[in-house]
Amino acid sequence: MSVFFILFLIILTSLFDTINQLFLKTSINSLDFNIKSVSQVATFIKQLISLPKVWIGFIFCTLSLCIWLFVLSKADLNYAFSADSMHYIFIALGSKLFLNEKVGTRRWVGTIFIVIGIILITWSNY
Amino acid sequence: MPKNRITLKLLFFLVVTDFLETLTQYCFKKSAIPESSFMITKFNDVFFFLKEVVLSGFLWLGLGSVFITFVIWSTILSKIDLSVAVPICSFSYILVPLVSIFFLGEQMTFLDWTGIAFILTGVIIVSTSTKHKEIVIT
Repeated sequence: MSVFFILFLIILTSLFDTINQLFLKTSINSLDFNIKSVSQVATFIKQLISLPKVWIGFIFCTLSLCIWLFVLSKADLNYAFSADSMHYIFIALGSKLFLNEKVGTRRWVGTIFIVIGIILITWSNY
Repeated sequence: MPKNRITLKLLFFLVVTDFLETLTQYCFKKSAIPESSFMITKFNDVFFFLKEVVLSGFLWLGLGSVFITFVIWSTILSKIDLSVAVPICSFSYILVPLVSIFFLGEQMTFLDWTGIAFILTGVIIVSTSTKHKEIVIT
């Protein structure tokens, strides 16, 4: 199996996982529930899982997991994990584009530091 | 209301979700390894394999862990931005090497330490990027 196909699959899992998180976060934002005590958590979760968007996200999450398991059975671990660290970039982009979060220079710099760190650790461990 | 501030409590729960995710992976892996090791050769073996997986306690422990992670993660996301919560969860990349040193007696290389330093710096920068009175307009 070619390296490019594996890379494509890794990008796909990262994308699917990002989509899952975006669906979950938009559902939570649409509830606009301010949790103040532990007892309110149950009400919050009950309202949350009644939203179809959460379940769409869950399907993407399952798909992402299946592809990821397939990738792990084919690719080198260091390659798979370092390629997967671009997940953080997708999350930052997605939050900016679809959730209107203010991803400033500071947050970008921090995210890129984390990505570099993950690549260093994965390459030294395997 | 300054909604997306990181508090120590939130940071603690972020680390808890990290641990739970690791526990989930461990349980699922355990449940997929039956005690009597065998290869799936016939179609019937698939049912036998699935029966063992369902009967093993690890599967249910793993599913329970998935649910608790979902509850805690949703609660965290109701308080802070997604672009802050996800990078902070990269803590697990630090936890795994540290656990390997202290409990498994593994050696750390210079590259490991550099990687850990980068991740820590990144996490600190990302978590302080919310402090400057970002007000959520609803």
